[in-house]
Amino acid sequence: MRSLSYVQRAVLEFSGSLFPRAICLGDVNNDTLNELVVGDTSGKLYVYKSDESKPWVTRSCTGMLTCVGVGDVCNKGKNFVVAVSAEGWFHLFDLSLPSLKLDASGSHELLLGDEQKVMFMQHIPANTKVMLINDIDGDGQCELVLGYTDRVVRAFRWEDSSENSEHISGQLVLLKKWLLEGQVDSLSVNPSPDGTPELMVSQPGCAYAILLCPWKHTQPYLAEDEVPSAACSDIKSQVSAVKLMKREAPVRDVVLHQTSGRIHNKNVSTHLIGNIGQAGSGAGDCKSGLFAMCTLDGTLKLMQGTDELLWSMKVDHQLFALEKLDVTGNGQEEVVACAWDGQTYIIDHNRTVVRFQVDENVNAFCAGLYACKGGQNSPCLIYVSFNHKIYIYWDVKLERMESTNLVKILETNQAYRDLLKQLNVGIDDISVVSALLHQTLYFPEREEQDASA
Amino acid sequence: MAADGEWGRSCPFAEDSFSRLPSQSNIYGLASCRGPEAPELLLATLKGKVICFKYQDLRQKIRAVARELQFTYIPVDAEIVAIDTFSKSLPKRGLVVGITFIKDSGDKASPFLNIYCDYEPGSEYNLDSVAQSCLNLELQFTPFQLCHAEIQDGDKQETVFLLSGNDQQIHLYKENEDLHQFEEQPVENLFPELKDLPSNVLWMDVYNLPSSTCRITAFGCQSGFVSLSHVDQTTRVVLQSWTIQQDGPISRVLIFCLASCCLREEVRSSVLEATWEREHQPQDFNLLVTSSIELSVVYRNVLKKGLQEQLLLPESDQYDCVLCALVTDVDFDGVQEILLGTYGQELLCYKYWTLAGPAQGTTYPTALCQSEGEFRLLWKRSFPSPLLSMAYLDLTCDGLCELVVVSLKGMHILQHSLAQAAQCVLQRLGQKVARLRKGGSAPESLMTTKEGATEAHAEKIQEG
Repeated sequence: MRSLSYVQRAVLEFSGSLFPRAICLGDVNNDTLNELVVGDTSGKLYVYKSDESKPWVTRSCTGMLTCVGVGDVCNKGKNFVVAVSAEGWFHLFDLSLPSLKLDASGSHELLLGDEQKVMFMQHIPANTKVMLINDIDGDGQCELVLGYTDRVVRAFRWEDSSENSEHISGQLVLLKKWLLEGQVDSLSVNPSPDGTPELMVSQPGCAYAILLCPWKHTQPYLAEDEVPSAACSDIKSQVSAVKLMKREAPVRDVVLHQTSGRIHNKNVSTHLIGNIGQAGSGAGDCKSGLFAMCTLDGTLKLMQGTDELLWSMKVDHQLFALEKLDVTGNGQEEVVACAWDGQTYIIDHNRTVVRFQVDENVNAFCAGLYACKGGQNSPCLIYVSFNHKIYIYWDVKLERMESTNLVKILETNQAYRDLLKQLNVGIDDISVVSALLHQTLYFPEREEQDASA
Repeated sequence: MAADGEWGRSCPFAEDSFSRLPSQSNIYGLASCRGPEAPELLLATLKGKVICFKYQDLRQKIRAVARELQFTYIPVDAEIVAIDTFSKSLPKRGLVVGITFIKDSGDKASPFLNIYCDYEPGSEYNLDSVAQSCLNLELQFTPFQLCHAEIQDGDKQETVFLLSGNDQQIHLYKENEDLHQFEEQPVENLFPELKDLPSNVLWMDVYNLPSSTCRITAFGCQSGFVSLSHVDQTTRVVLQSWTIQQDGPISRVLIFCLASCCLREEVRSSVLEATWEREHQPQDFNLLVTSSIELSVVYRNVLKKGLQEQLLLPESDQYDCVLCALVTDVDFDGVQEILLGTYGQELLCYKYWTLAGPAQGTTYPTALCQSEGEFRLLWKRSFPSPLLSMAYLDLTCDGLCELVVVSLKGMHILQHSLAQAAQCVLQRLGQKVARLRKGGSAPESLMTTKEGATEAHAEKIQEG
């Protein structure tokens, strides 16, 4: 297994303790550059920018922050920061105010006292654990999905009541509550074969469940039966349609999938990530999305659709976090899994593995694009240690996933094949070819003399 | 400088593989040998383990493989100090591995030199069987660097071990053919320049001058003393010698030429050996001296100027001690660059600049002998732990060498950017084909060169 050591890293100060999902990357101020958002157990929210070791912005929230997120949760075409506490407090921040841009040194807190305040706060059911801000029903609008420690998943939608865009007012409205059999460690969205998003949650024992959105499924139903009144998209008719369905058949809104019979521990904690980027997948393609799963006992799987297993592997490390990241820059996203002891696996779609070991135990992990240096986003691996430090390994790009050599690279080049033919060198005679390459690279002047002689 | 921008200011290497070590290595811990298929690296670690590293070609894919090689007669409580390997000088055949270690069993630490060498025909180059046949020599001193040198002993070539110790001496171990074993011989018989040393030698370098019976020997001491000698091997007379006193222990001395057509024999590939002998040109010989507290320096043109013409390597004292150094051509321009590895976790690359800009070796290697010029820091690369030793060799069997960097935590294999190297090859092969077309000569120069090389080899054997 190929193993690497990354060197370029930035160290950030973080003195609190955090829940593993209270960290995320996102463009909090809508400048196309990504920031790092971290929430701690005392309710502090930190936003880090570039390689500054001190936070760029800090905010105070109520309760223990269990999950943070960045996204267009209000569907206003710009990103907000969301922080949710275990006690059920939902906080919304707008950090793209122009006044913030003036001062990047972090000393603006005193100057802008009133902006310290939470922009919006609402109490929602407590015991939150994981959060997802994404379009789960294919209507182009973002929903907020929360997973709970009591095996419940709730989806919310922001109902806006603000007059102008300057001040946001509105509230979260519960769309749906799902009840699951096991703990939900990950929420994700994966494209279904018809291209619409599907909400996926992980279930213990390397299993997953697809959560159906009844309001989404009723729409085609309505379209067929009530064509004249199809335009009635108001909630009332949707609700009545749902009731109609309920009467006809018991609604199955959770579809559980077991992925393997060889799982030793049916209760093992499982993570999942969906919508893994595939190379050359244009908008027209209607392939099912790729999704990956990992378990705390070291199983890793990449699947396509509901039952096509692309690969699976077993490692002897306790995997607790799963991310996706394009490290080779070929448009294909690699699966990145991290273990408590810092062992990190980067695996491509062909099951080529690159390992990287961080020398400390890891409290929380995330991977993604972050603008650490040079004012541009680069793929980064981010580790929160137990020693009040966050390590950002930036620009973790690789030329390729697997080891290779010059001969193999050149063999695919037609111009090179032609040149060898003209030089009467057999492409299969590796020793002659490598001697020729050695001479060409290191002793070019010899050739000139040979030629002139 | 106008040319500044043209020259890559960033490290041209990307890490291909990193192998963690069970325990740390040291500056004497890396050796390489020619394996049956691919070159292999031997890396000694403190806790008595030797890791054998190579690239394997498996199912059209290459991958790095590291395994522990069990050398016999190394006790569990031993701490390895140094490892060195060489192939016996022709016509003798066989791989020799030397390992010095200190066995610390409570009250008294006892140092040993183990020499591994298999005389069984067919397995002389098989590392696994070599590792099983051991000659165990107890030492009366704490060993430092273990290295080897090829000498002219009467009318034949012979490779011997040189071992420096804390007794202010260098010890020589030479094979006794009749007994099939190595034994210590007085060093002054063969190396008159290595007697009566003023301090403990931390590093020595022996450079046999091509197509001559002379050699240059350099060593650097714990006290900062540096010595350089020009010796005639046949008469065993020191022709000239120079010494200088620097401050602080000398971590490494290295004799080199700037033009890469003057590569040292262990790096030179067999293909070029024929042309090497024939087209030998007068060169500049330089001495690189790295110090643990001062700036590292290059003494230029030592055979003519001795240790007078000194060029500093700027910033080389900014990253803690320089512990290892390498001179090789890493940008394929025919001029060698200096690589320094520091305890401060940095790899530094220096390039020689003449008044006209960066030195260009492809056309006139002799022009590099001109004395005006300076070394500039071209690029640097950070590592996650202190650097201990380096090697530059073709591990992947593609003609392109890899840079091996051993750090405190493990071994990094750095590979040239293959895209850049491929582009360079395509361009140069294209030019070569164009030249051959113009010249109208048959494109078989390569084949003849290769045959020539083998012939030269054969001649050498007969001479021996």
